[in-house]
Amino acid sequence: MSALEQASLVESAPGMNRRRLLVMAGRIGLAALLVLAWQVAADTAGDLYFPQPLAVARRIAEDTASGALPWNTYVTLRLSVIGFLLGCAAGILVPFLLRLSPRLTGAVEPYIMASVGVPKYALIPLFILWFGIDDAPKLWLIGLLVFYVVFIAVFAGIRNVDARLVTMARVLGASESVISRRVIWKSLTPFFFAALKIALPRAVSAAIIGEFLVGNAGLGFVIENSRQQVDSTGVFTGILVATALVLAINAVLERADRRVNAWRPVDRHMEI
Amino acid sequence: MAAGAILEIRGLAKRFRARAPGAESPWIIRDLSFSVREGELLTIVGPSGAGKTTLLNMIAQTDTASGGEVRFRAQVAPLGDAKALRPGLSRQIGYITQDDNLLPWRTCLGNVLFPLEVQGRLDGQTRARAQSLVEAVGLAGFENHYPHELSGGMRKRTSLIRTLVYDPPVILMDEPFGAVDAQTRALLQADLLRLWGEGRKTIVFVTHDIAEAIALGDRTLVLSRAPASVKSEHLISIPRPRDIGGILTRPEFVTLYQAIRAEVA
Ligand SMILES: Nc1ncnc2c1ncn2[C@@H]1O[C@H](COP(=O)(O)OP(=O)(O)OP(=O)(O)O)[C@@H](O)[C@H]1O
Ligand SMILES: [Mg+2]
Repeated sequence: MSALEQASLVESAPGMNRRRLLVMAGRIGLAALLVLAWQVAADTAGDLYFPQPLAVARRIAEDTASGALPWNTYVTLRLSVIGFLLGCAAGILVPFLLRLSPRLTGAVEPYIMASVGVPKYALIPLFILWFGIDDAPKLWLIGLLVFYVVFIAVFAGIRNVDARLVTMARVLGASESVISRRVIWKSLTPFFFAALKIALPRAVSAAIIGEFLVGNAGLGFVIENSRQQVDSTGVFTGILVATALVLAINAVLERADRRVNAWRPVDRHMEI
Repeated sequence: MAAGAILEIRGLAKRFRARAPGAESPWIIRDLSFSVREGELLTIVGPSGAGKTTLLNMIAQTDTASGGEVRFRAQVAPLGDAKALRPGLSRQIGYITQDDNLLPWRTCLGNVLFPLEVQGRLDGQTRARAQSLVEAVGLAGFENHYPHELSGGMRKRTSLIRTLVYDPPVILMDEPFGAVDAQTRALLQADLLRLWGEGRKTIVFVTHDIAEAIALGDRTLVLSRAPASVKSEHLISIPRPRDIGGILTRPEFVTLYQAIRAEVA
């Protein structure tokens, strides 16, 4: 084996760093390009359609200073988190309860699968009719969206558990509840995290859409209210902050995923 | 029930469910009977596919039987009904399966402690015992490795001590040293004999290595090809403590080896 081949096999630390630097530079370059495109669009289309990037930046700064933006962000975040927690709890609990009875599962499964097809946003008018105009209809919407994503992942995860591990745990004296928590739950956490990566951004989107329609606070309200006043700067501000919120949530999730699923052998090709 | 028997297998039979409706599935095990004395190290040899794993699954109650019975301390196991099975018989029958079945998200030590945790018996004393077993089988320094970071033989050893650590009165072993090289194998066999000599567990040890069966056992059963039943029984009168390396050239060993070999072939 030549020295060159050896060098490429054992990736050296400086090599890793250079790769990382290149990726970083690429990201910053892309961001600059995006802002540039935005500026060009603003200059050609005009303020009505595309506000100036600087104007949006100024608005974010002003509304942050006045406390309005943090408050609205908090309202949306709170709603998303509560709705998410409710949907997530149900999405975990129902498959584990179904596990206790294969016959019940057989009876219920087609109905649950069919109800996946119902467009959840189409239910908003119904939720408003049933649950009024407070947080309740919004929480139902968010909860339901999150429920399906989590339910399907956990359900599939339970089905895919290695039956030999469950048998082994029984032989070792584990009770059914210990098996649920320590074997089945553990082996499906990678599935669960994959579901969270879809469900959490969806929860925020659902909260915003709910706020378009009901209530007088939150990022959704900011966006919709600005639109009504033909304030494109306000619309953009809302969208940008909402995006930042989702990104922040994703980053937290990513960290948690890495910590919880650290035991898994990772595919080095996908690592940066 | 035979005097001093802790396990008694009588007329045991097994056929799996037919693959297609109406089709006849073959008998894997038929009319298989033997008993195991308290404190005995019984070895069972048989060709690959004979039904050795299937037999142990039924004794451990992880699978149903199609006929016959298994008695543990005169208690008859409900082997007909999948729902009534009691895998491991309330921790009285330990089972070291052919696959290591380690929990991939737990480290080596975490796997060894798992039975103690779920049985609510993890304390300073049992933890120390786990640690000393880890050292006894040469896993010291690998406690914090996940299963995928261990070699095949290390995983086998981990699964072995995971059962030894909670000290069940009967232990079933399904080719526990199948995946290791000859030297490590000899070391592990010596370890097993030593640990068995200290605790005098009842062990049912399945293997297709005839030399291993003779070197370890008080008695060796030879299984016939499917449908499996006991073809013959050999008392191993080689005195203990045995020297795993030196035993291979003893005249009793050679005679037994040739006799069993003729039957398995
Ligand atoms: N779940 C199953 N369904 C149908 N047939 C099975 C099943 N499990 C095992 N068998 C069949 O039973 C027979 C005995 O299998 P078993 O695993 O008990 O053999 P073994 O003696 O342990 O072999 P080895 O030494 O290779 O481990 C084989 O013919 C196998 O195909
Ligand atoms: Mg086998």
